[in-house]
Amino acid sequence: MIKLNPLTLKKLRRFRSIKRGYWSFVILLFLYVFSLAGELFVNKRALLVSYQGALYFPTYGEQISGKEFGLDYDYEVDYRSLQKKFQHEELGDWVIMPIVPFDPYEMDYANEGSTGFSPPNWKTGHFCGTDKTERDVFARLLYGFRIAMTFSLGYLFLTYLIAIGAGSVMGYFGGKTDMIGLRLVEIWANVPFLYMVIILVSVMPGWWGVGWQVSSLLFIMVLFSWTGMTYYIRAAVYKEKARDYVSAAKVIGVGPARIIFRHLLPNVISTLVTFAPFTIAAAISSITALDFLGYGLPPPTPSWGELLKQAVGNLKTAPWIVISTVSALVLTLTLVTFVGEAVREAFDPKKFSTYE
Amino acid sequence: MNDMKKIKFFVSPLVASITLFFLGCEEPKLKQPRETKPDQSQEPSNSSGKVDREFTRELAREFAAEFVKEFAKQINHKGISLDANQSTGAFKNSVSKTGLVDASGKPHPLLSHCSEDVLEFYQKNVDCFSILSPEEIPNDLEWQDGSSEKEFSSPNAKRGGTFHAYMRDFPRTLRTIGPDANGGFRSYLLDNNVIGLTHAHPNSDGYYPGTANEWAVGNDGRTVYFRLDSNARFSDGKRVRASDYFFFFYFMRSKHIQAPWYNDFYGKDKFQKVTLYDEQTLSITFYKAKPDVVERVSIRPKPEHFYSELGGEYLTKYQWQPEPTTGAYVALPENVDKGKSVTLVRQNNWWANDKRFFRNRFNPDQVKVSVIRDNDKAFEIFLKGQIDAFGLAKTEFWYEKLANDHSLVKNGYLTKVTFFNQAPPPSYALRINSQKAPLDNLDIRVGFHHAMNFELVLERIFRGDFVRMNTVADGFGERSHPTLKAREFSVDKAVESFARAGYSKRGKDGILINERGEKLSIEIMTGYKHFEDVLVVLKEEAKKAGLEIKLKVLEQTAAWKMANEKNHQVIFSAFGTFVELFPRFWEPFHSDNAYQEKGDLKYLENGDLKPGLTTKTSTNNFTQTAVRELDHLINQYREEEDLLQITKMAHRLSKIIHDHAVWVPAWKNPWLRVGHWSWLQFPDDWGPKESTDYEEFQVFWIDTQEKKKILNAMEKGEPVSSQPTVREYKKYESK
Repeated sequence: MIKLNPLTLKKLRRFRSIKRGYWSFVILLFLYVFSLAGELFVNKRALLVSYQGALYFPTYGEQISGKEFGLDYDYEVDYRSLQKKFQHEELGDWVIMPIVPFDPYEMDYANEGSTGFSPPNWKTGHFCGTDKTERDVFARLLYGFRIAMTFSLGYLFLTYLIAIGAGSVMGYFGGKTDMIGLRLVEIWANVPFLYMVIILVSVMPGWWGVGWQVSSLLFIMVLFSWTGMTYYIRAAVYKEKARDYVSAAKVIGVGPARIIFRHLLPNVISTLVTFAPFTIAAAISSITALDFLGYGLPPPTPSWGELLKQAVGNLKTAPWIVISTVSALVLTLTLVTFVGEAVREAFDPKKFSTYE
Repeated sequence: MNDMKKIKFFVSPLVASITLFFLGCEEPKLKQPRETKPDQSQEPSNSSGKVDREFTRELAREFAAEFVKEFAKQINHKGISLDANQSTGAFKNSVSKTGLVDASGKPHPLLSHCSEDVLEFYQKNVDCFSILSPEEIPNDLEWQDGSSEKEFSSPNAKRGGTFHAYMRDFPRTLRTIGPDANGGFRSYLLDNNVIGLTHAHPNSDGYYPGTANEWAVGNDGRTVYFRLDSNARFSDGKRVRASDYFFFFYFMRSKHIQAPWYNDFYGKDKFQKVTLYDEQTLSITFYKAKPDVVERVSIRPKPEHFYSELGGEYLTKYQWQPEPTTGAYVALPENVDKGKSVTLVRQNNWWANDKRFFRNRFNPDQVKVSVIRDNDKAFEIFLKGQIDAFGLAKTEFWYEKLANDHSLVKNGYLTKVTFFNQAPPPSYALRINSQKAPLDNLDIRVGFHHAMNFELVLERIFRGDFVRMNTVADGFGERSHPTLKAREFSVDKAVESFARAGYSKRGKDGILINERGEKLSIEIMTGYKHFEDVLVVLKEEAKKAGLEIKLKVLEQTAAWKMANEKNHQVIFSAFGTFVELFPRFWEPFHSDNAYQEKGDLKYLENGDLKPGLTTKTSTNNFTQTAVRELDHLINQYREEEDLLQITKMAHRLSKIIHDHAVWVPAWKNPWLRVGHWSWLQFPDDWGPKESTDYEEFQVFWIDTQEKKKILNAMEKGEPVSSQPTVREYKKYESK
């Protein structure tokens, strides 16, 4: 077990005592882990197939061709129709489908008249209806959540990495390094984030392959938002630098790198943790905004922004899209905000720090 | 917490001040076109800096000309005879024969106003430009004047009102030629506006008079004589002169306009001769006796008095300075709100106001075209009445967003129109770059065709309203191939084709791989964000055939630029097609538009392409087609004059391109669908059969009384219509 600073332990206990924040955190964590295992609950592939005595687990792994199950086509099995076929044949074969038997990418043009925008229907399994090309909205919400959260976590990690590096260097060394570095950071911070991302995203993907689009999007977003945290880290490092233990370490000859990583940073963590939930909320909003404008993830990646765009364009004709997407967005951001507020209150320095 | 409070504190006064600021900004007042003053010199109003530069350049030219004259005189004086003199003597002789200049070097009276540069150009190309006497016009010509044709506008048309339209992006220039000029806005300035010598009648195969009142085809079948309308004037009041037709070729052949396609199209090899006889008569000689030669040589005169001559600064000088026009609507720099809107104003004393075929057209007094970038937003603005008409071809608009029982339609405020027309459709297609691996393999291309499930797209997304386009040249009547059909979606055929190309095994994710383990993956690029759903459907269905599609949906301009660089694998795009007698094959399929090297130099002995050729950018040949037999056939096709032969060759070319499998046709619709506010009125048969959009022939008018009535009724919520407001015009439906 990592030996945590007893002060930190106190903060964590305090966090747990704030019921609203704590439970929001638990729910959020549960939702994220659930979405990571999304293939087991919302998928067009069956969970379990028993065919002629043999068991198949198609969820993860290779695609199973139709020929394996005696169908006449070579491409991937349509498990829903396979289930119906087995039920009809009654030969002892069965198929267990996930709760929502749809994939975020496939178009369910099952019915004769379906031409997009089918309302929610519990019988067919479309709990939140379908979108413009008959793709299940709930599936797109879930996988979109996964992608948005993963993107945000990646964003958080990278931004903080750069911020810690830049901030601690500037804060520790002070003097000229700090002066020049701070000027550069200020200039870079004045570049408007959303506009620059849009401009770069509309210019660059022309040259890069499609696979690069997601990572380049992340890179561009991080490029224009690492300056926010740098200020805070720098201030926190400045504050800690003045403490006795740092002077003590310097006296015995500890190098700057070790001082920064071993002594200063653990005390700066509380600042980082306090901002983390709000950074995640900002990242989710940014990626949703970019997708809404059409400059984010490439199609047909499921994303909330893309769903919102469809929702806004079809407010009267397909209200289920806007209802489900906005509810999901509001719920997620509210949970994150609760967590953030609770963290901020729990890590409030006024209760724990002593001033000399 | 404190920060939040502070922000809240500042937000409300900030919002208030911003709102006040915007309310305070006034709409810029519109300015009328200049009043016609015959002696007003056409000096474009530049900023003071530019005038000085221009002025000094003029001075320099004058000085140089004077110096040369003096120098020549001095040389002559000293009695030194140069060889140049003799040759110029001979030169002058030949020139005087063609009438451009007389013996003493003075230009012909028809060209007396021409600048030195222009005159020199004519003299250098005496085989093209000549002035003959009116006696030389043949006596046995059959002059036509379009009197047997019927007018296609309505006598009920009323003048007045402002027509509100929208465009997706602000035009990059108000020039009609040169870089960036061939955007959608050009149709307001040129295509649907400026009048040429004659125009093809949109309901019959004949022509009607424009700036020429009469025309006749000479005995050689390729020279057309024109008698000009002496009333024809430009929008600044200056008369259209016969020499403006000479100037047209000077303009189009100049390097300064940076438009190589025009240099070639109006080059010497096609337009062999232009001859002036007197102020009212001219003739143009085309290189071939094509069946539609009158249409081909009916050029639009260029205002020489506006340009006088062209120089290197053509692009920048005329970027936002439109030239005077013979058409009804004028765009003036004062009425250009950069980035927001352009307002075209109808000329007050338009010379063609009462001219047959032009009267009762171009009825609104103003055409205001505003920029609205988002299609959905434009639709909402249309529903509010701030745009007068909106295209409803897309099924979601026609059936859902503006269904027949929508309150605006039921009450008669809005009218929905389906007009069956006969015109070549815009060529929506997947264009495969045949020089990029793996698409340089014919089997892969054929398999790609069979893997595109357009049937599902047409059935579900377009609800069976659209039909599949079948060839590269649909919609040209007899000249379209009668039996050729697009390849159908078939997983078996696709898989078979791919297997022939080496992709025979299915990988773990169902995508085909070859022996080296490479996945069959192709990238489709497009600038049409509104057709994203079509591509998504195609991508999903292609998985069944083992083909992985990667989608790249870019901004329209970005996609266009990328395609021009020929770096794409497949692009989904469309070109608007002009109504012509027979289809064009040279621009999209000839190898001269794929590589810089000319003609057969590209090929080795056996017909394969040489390695290391230089790609030619910015042409319509998005498929980079370069097949020697095809080149030869296309060259022959362009030379052919007999309509029957042309038809046969068009069929053959369509078949060859089909077999070459570089072009996956998408859809076409046999009608155009438009929604418009009911104060916009159309003739009884709505429009000519060749209409492809409501603005093309400008036959509509705005009934301002009706508009008031409708707006009043809307406020009160009362219905307005006596007639049904969902109309279908089947007069020109093709069976």
